[in-house]
Amino acid sequence: MEGFVAKQVHDYQNGKISRRRLVEILTFVATTAYTGKGALGAEQSGLDAALVNHVSYTCPDFRRAADWYSMVFNLDQVGGSARDVALPFGKKGEKPYGVTDDDVPLTHMICRTRPLGASGNGPPRRKANAVIDHIAFTVADFDRERAKAQLAAVGVNNVRDGGPFSVYVDDPFGYEVQIAGLGVTAICGAEARTTCSDTR
Amino acid sequence: MERFIADLVQNLDSGKIDRREFCKAVALAAAVYGAGDAAQAQAQRGFKIIGVNHLSYTCPDYTKARGWYTSVLNMKSEPTRDDGKRANLMFGPEPGKGGSFLVTRNPSNVASGSAGVKQGAQAVIDHICYTIPNWDEARVRATLKAKGLDVTGRDGSLHVYDPFDYDVQIASAAAENAFRR
Repeated sequence: MEGFVAKQVHDYQNGKISRRRLVEILTFVATTAYTGKGALGAEQSGLDAALVNHVSYTCPDFRRAADWYSMVFNLDQVGGSARDVALPFGKKGEKPYGVTDDDVPLTHMICRTRPLGASGNGPPRRKANAVIDHIAFTVADFDRERAKAQLAAVGVNNVRDGGPFSVYVDDPFGYEVQIAGLGVTAICGAEARTTCSDTR
Repeated sequence: MERFIADLVQNLDSGKIDRREFCKAVALAAAVYGAGDAAQAQAQRGFKIIGVNHLSYTCPDYTKARGWYTSVLNMKSEPTRDDGKRANLMFGPEPGKGGSFLVTRNPSNVASGSAGVKQGAQAVIDHICYTIPNWDEARVRATLKAKGLDVTGRDGSLHVYDPFDYDVQIASAAAENAFRR
């Protein structure tokens, strides 16, 4: 972003573009750079994953897990059954943050209790040679010290710093959960945001 | 925004700010503009989840996973974060504006502050489901087949395995929606 802006300023100061044109370009870029789809442009042959639809979380007691995630993240529980319940990341009718498509639902978490190899109605699930070892949630207006206080207030202990811009906690089943702000991105990780901005 | 930038240009011209300050101010304005909605949405107490920030995926060979997820789900690898042991694969909205990423990493690579793969955890994320917008059943199935994948599941909600036999679900909004369970 800064490189692009610098180039436009250079062109302006060398008379290649007018002041009006400079303002127009930068206004357009500033109001579209972080909104909606990027102009990846490349020819693609795969499927465009728009968002995580849901995370399937299996544990010995799904109700206990669901209650914990509801408490910590203010999530409602919907569509419960004897073996699982869904926790959508918002209210019914809300649109996921930053998504421009009309057919992308809110992400949700399904807390469930079932044998590890079981799947829905299909054949038994294969034993994976990979693991999602932690999941990070983005929360609005993250502040690390305030987050620690909030977690302590609801009885969550063993909070670890994940760099200046996130914290790690363990849920009731020892699963590691990271809580992060919007600034933690694929480009600027939680632990190296400052240096990241220097190398972009 | 236009008025703000016009003022910045005036300050640049009059020497009140230098070129470096000007560039930083515009970049910051864009980021704030993009993040404004989220900040406004904060709940008064507790955390307000915006979405999944990232998933940390540990496997025997992150390059193999990187290749699969970039090919099948069009995730985009961020080159500056690929250190030979891990890669950050972006998908969804722009970074910092609701976008998510999948961190594929080798077992020796652990995020700062993370405990890494924990043997004692009693819970597991047994699959991840990704939403595909503009779902076209025939196109989705043909795409997966062209990648050499065995597809199971039902229309609108399909399952495939990645190279490490991790269960990956791919779904439409109509088939997988928390409020329609």
